[in-house]
Amino acid sequence: MTELRVLGDPDPDRPADPEPAIYPNWESVYQDNVIGIYQLVFRKVGNSADAEDLAEEVLMHTLKTLRLPAPVPTVRAYLVKTARTVLADHWRRHYAARDAASELEKMPIEITTNPDAADRAQRLLSLLPDHFRNILELRFLRGYSVREAAGELGVTESNARVLQFRALRKAAELEREVLR
Amino acid sequence: MKESADRVARFVDDLLHGRRPRRFEATPEEAEAMTAAAGLAASRVGADLPDKASLDRIHKRLSESLDESPPVDRQLSRRAWLRTAGAAAAAVVVGVALDEVVTRHQESGGGAGTATLLPDTGSWRPVAALTDLPSGHAMPISTASLDAVIINDGGRISAVSGVCTHLGCKLQPDDNNRKLNCPCHQTAFSWSGKVLYYRLKAAPANLPQIPSRVNNGQVELYIV
Repeated sequence: MTELRVLGDPDPDRPADPEPAIYPNWESVYQDNVIGIYQLVFRKVGNSADAEDLAEEVLMHTLKTLRLPAPVPTVRAYLVKTARTVLADHWRRHYAARDAASELEKMPIEITTNPDAADRAQRLLSLLPDHFRNILELRFLRGYSVREAAGELGVTESNARVLQFRALRKAAELEREVLR
Repeated sequence: MKESADRVARFVDDLLHGRRPRRFEATPEEAEAMTAAAGLAASRVGADLPDKASLDRIHKRLSESLDESPPVDRQLSRRAWLRTAGAAAAAVVVGVALDEVVTRHQESGGGAGTATLLPDTGSWRPVAALTDLPSGHAMPISTASLDAVIINDGGRISAVSGVCTHLGCKLQPDDNNRKLNCPCHQTAFSWSGKVLYYRLKAAPANLPQIPSRVNNGQVELYIV
């Protein structure tokens, strides 16, 4: 009688897995992770100049701390841990943003390319009330200046800035409470 | 409220113009809005892709800090590498960053450098039309004499051996991660042939380079 085996169960005939994969040297850690780390920090700072500096800081600290060769999961876990600390420190040091920094230290982050970032932003925008969504779409998706957005919405520039501020705070709240 | 809105607006302007934002002491409310702005700015299609110059600068600074070899050794390594590779290979590395050339010779643990395959009786042979190899893609090809992977990295064409240096399994390109994966054991190589990681007792060798060029719209390899 044929023995049934559930898909995903380990194959009994297959030898046990050897040790996890190994990064042999710093070049291999760099090659395999630099883009993922850059994208991870970019999503938290929104600009390339800071993202470049912080990605380098994350890699430099990790590579100076860990002894190589080292298992891939160990290195990646350390990179993520370091990224979280470096990002929190960035927001604390440059903007005195203690709450935002603490939030970052708790937030689950991972090294992945983020093909669904645009979808996620659209989903976030769709949850906002119309007047908040409109200003953020004009500014972030269509690249309008404050003046152009104000003209489109029929409000003063000063009111457009206030609207943008309130819309961003609401977006942060939704991100924290609904999308995470 | 107006002052906060103005400061956050200035921060958003900096992000949207690709500038490093000016630093200031933000209130918790301002910081909350700014983190949301950073996320939205990063979600624009393609915004979070680093440019090559950025990656080169990161690599250079890591290299300066982590490589212990004195600069004079690096120069010798480069000359030795070029001498070994010969004129044909030298032609195909035009445009390869110096750091990359140097590290091929310096790698430890990752298979002691990279060899270039220069057959005694080789000639330039077309293996694919350039139009079949768009930028950002790696393509396995087989000839009577070898398996190779040809790569178009932002317009720069290169080729490496298409078989794993461990036990000879055929490598599978993973274009999204710019890797060549060995399907047999958990080993991966970069597009330049360097070992990225391995799950073996000892590090396998890097992949041999194969001299390549583009001629009349055809990707050609120097092979037998």
